[in-house]
Parts: sequence; structure tokens; C-alpha cells
Amino acid sequence: MFGFLQGKDAAASHRLARTSLFAGLKVGELNIVEGFMHERRYLPGEIVFDEGEEGQALYIIVSGRVVICHPGAANRPIAELGAGDFFGELALLDDSPRSAQALAGEATEAAVLFRGDFERLMQSHAPIASQIAMQLARHLGQRLRAMVAGAGGVAGQ
Amino acid sequence: MRRTAADYRSGPVVWSGVIASTCLVLFLFQKMLWLVVPFILALIIYYALLPAKQKLVMRGISHDAAAGYVAALAFSVVIGIFVLGLPWIAAHAVTWQESSVRYLDGGLNLITGTLKQLEGRSAILAQAQVSEQLAQKIAEHSDKFAEKYLGGVALAVAAWAPSVLLAPFLAFFMLRDGWRFKRFIGRAVPNAFFERTLYLLDQVDRTARLYFMGLIELTLLDTICLGAGLWLIGVSGALLLGLVTAILAWIPYIGSILGCLLVVLVAATDFPGNPEIAYGTVGLFIVVRLLDDFVFMPLTIGKSLNMHPLLTVLMIFVGGAVAGVPGLMLVLPVLGVAMVLGETLGRVITDPRLRARHAYAKLLQRQIVTADLRP
Repeated sequence: MFGFLQGKDAAASHRLARTSLFAGLKVGELNIVEGFMHERRYLPGEIVFDEGEEGQALYIIVSGRVVICHPGAANRPIAELGAGDFFGELALLDDSPRSAQALAGEATEAAVLFRGDFERLMQSHAPIASQIAMQLARHLGQRLRAMVAGAGGVAGQ
Repeated sequence: MRRTAADYRSGPVVWSGVIASTCLVLFLFQKMLWLVVPFILALIIYYALLPAKQKLVMRGISHDAAAGYVAALAFSVVIGIFVLGLPWIAAHAVTWQESSVRYLDGGLNLITGTLKQLEGRSAILAQAQVSEQLAQKIAEHSDKFAEKYLGGVALAVAAWAPSVLLAPFLAFFMLRDGWRFKRFIGRAVPNAFFERTLYLLDQVDRTARLYFMGLIELTLLDTICLGAGLWLIGVSGALLLGLVTAILAWIPYIGSILGCLLVVLVAATDFPGNPEIAYGTVGLFIVVRLLDDFVFMPLTIGKSLNMHPLLTVLMIFVGGAVAGVPGLMLVLPVLGVAMVLGETLGRVITDPRLRARHAYAKLLQRQIVTADLRP
């Protein structure tokens, strides 16, 4: 009760607030986003999605660990993600094929935002969707800079 | 290289399945119209009220409370209109009764006048005295109409009233629990098929929503065309007549005939000594119906369901042949949903990788639950 009187502390304790994608959203806005989320549980070693598969959703790790790798190369992971991290974000932008495989490294619980729901959020609640889209753009920008820096390093060698 | 979902194209087997399942569903629907009619009415109410409910949810109100507020408001508006409109209806009932009698007389005069004109030109018709016989039969028929048909009509209204009253009840629960149902279905889907199934549910929802939006667009186009045509001819209440006949056209064939009859009655009464005007309205009505069936419908409803115009027209005939009037009305939305279901099921079933992933997940589950049972 009187949830609207709760300030930043309430927002910080929200399970979605641990994700950088939703940074800056108030508790009421996080509750709205929560309404669009689906929950999934994965067993250790279970595939979340495959490389080359048509992407439809973004995944946020609530608990557990997810390994991003190429098929059959789980021992040489591209990235290892933990609680609060998100992956599969390009699926929110288009239906291009997934660029890598996602595999549950241990028992994992994920919150899933489907592209159709994100589009509905954009239509019906543009301020929240635009904040998420801005965070997404920042995240992709950071990744692009890291790639460019990596390529520069290789070229320098 | 593994085949991606984007590579998938529905083949003849899936298409045959889609058309066969559409026919089967239409046949079953015809057998339980008492449930299908209120369900469709409930869907129309649901899609009309859904944006208001979503706006409240977006403002942070719970789904249950938002559905309750929207339903209460809609119910209050309907009751308000009824309460405020009742005295007006009672005051004008006598005038309406007189008007309807006047319009019926106008229509009968048109028929008998036309027959007399034909008798003047044809000796065979003159000998047969068709106009006199018709006038006599109409007089007999109108004398016994009430006692012959009123009982049956009252019985049919009494039989249909409970099932039609079911519509707002169903609409409220669709509004309140529709999102829960979607999640319930989503939770039951194995992880391997999750994204594809979610996409399927979204597409089914989108198809139904676009169908009803297409229906509203079609009604507007019909109203404008018929209203403009009747206004040019000089018939009174052209726009209202256009709207009423466009809504009647939701019932294929029967609705169109009723609409045409209504327009002709008004034209014959407005221009009693000028039957050419009434013939002109029949011609206009036929042109608008043809435009509706072969141009507007494929462009609005057919387009919203992403169907080929030829398939749209052919399936209307198939729907009529399989399930009569209900088949004509329901064939397009049922086909739209069957197409989405067929295509997605085809994608899921024909993808060996998804099936293998599901089998592997079951194996992992089995290993976990039997880990402490091993010696």
C-alpha cells in the first residue's frame, strides 16, 4: 500500500532494477515493465537459444549463470553472464538470426521480454520504452567501442 | 548448415491442413451457434474496450481493477443511454409505427404498380391477373401475419436472449483474465519451443485484432459509398440508411437482402409516383455490394489478414457451402487464425533441432531427478 510514496530505495530493491537496461526507471515504471515479462527456468546445460535462430525476445538473468558461445564450444565461451546481466537484446530491434548460442551454465531463472510486447510498450507507454531504448543504445555503443578497440589492438600487433 | 525459421515456407500439406481445419471448425461452429455468436460479440466488445484498459494498466493500476473500472464505465454508459433513451423511444413509438406502416405501404404500392405496368405490356401477365392475386395474397398474409409468425419470433428472441446476454459477461472475463490466459499457455510451453509459441500467440492476437479493425473500416467504406449514392438520388436519411445497411451487411446474403429491402421501401415511399428512383436504388445497392465483395473486403479484411484476394473470395464461397450463413460470416477470421497456427506449427514440427533440444532438456531433467537413485 502507498507504493507511490516509496522512493528510490523501493526501486533499487526491485528485481529488475539490478539490470542496467532498466536503470533510471521508477518503481511504478518497473512494475509496468514487469507486467510484460515472462518467466523461464533452465536446467544446467540447457540451451536458451541457438546460433542462427530467429530472435524474438530479450533475456534478463534473475539468478544463475548463462554462457554465450559458439555451438559445441562451451569450453571457450565468448562471454559469461550472471544475475542482472541481459542478452539477446538485438532481438528487440529486428528478427535477424542470433549471432551465438546461449547456454545455462547452472540452474538459471530468466525474465523474458518479447519483441511484440516491447513494441506494445513503445506504443502505449513511450517514455518507459524510450528510456529502455536509450540504455540499449548505450549498451550497444559500449560493445561497438570495445570491438573497435580490440580490432585496433590486433592491428597494432 | 541448419535451416532457420526464416527459410521456412508453408507447403501443400500445411495449406491443405489449414483449409481442412477451417472447414471443420466452421462446421462445428454451425452446430453450436448459441455459444459462437455471444463469443464473437464478446470479442468485438473486448477489442473495443481493451485500449482503455491498457491505458489504465499503463498508469500503474492492476489488471483486475482496470478491467473492473472499464467494464463498470461501459455498463454505466449503456444503462445511461437506455434510461435516458427510454422516454424518447416511448414518445416516438407511435410515430415509428405509423412510419413503418407508411414505408410498407410504399413498398407494396411499388410492387403492385410495377406488376400493373408489366400487365399493360404483356397479354399473358394481364390474363393471369398477377397484380390482383398478389394484392389479395398480401392482404391475407398481413391479416394472419401476427398470429402465424409472432409466436415463433417471440420464441426465437426468448431462446437467443440468454446466449446474447452472455456476451458482456464473456467480454468482462476476457478483459480481466485474457493476459493471464496468455501467460498460462506460455508457462505450459517447453523452453525449446517458447519463442516460436510466443510469436504464434502474438500473431493470433494480432490477426483477430486486425480482422475486427478491418470490419470497422469496411463498414465505414460501405456507409460512405451507399450514403453518397442515396444522397445523390435524393433519398431521405441517406447517411443513416447507409450505416444501417452497412451494419446489416455483416450478415452475408440475408443482411444484404434486408438492407436492399429497407433502401427500396424508403425510396418507394419518398417518390411514390416515380418507380424509376426505387429501381435506381436497387442498382446502386448491387454496385455497392459488388464493390464490397470484390474490392473493399479483400482490401480491408483480406489485407488485414494478409491473404491473397483470390483466396479471400474463394474461401467465402467455401464457407457458405460448408456452414451456410454462419460459415459466410466466420470463414475469414477462422481462416486467418488457422493460417497463423498452421504456419507456426509447421515451423515447430518440421524443425529437428527444436525437437532435439526439447528431448535433451527432458534428458537433463531425468538425470537430475534420478541422480540420487543411482547406486
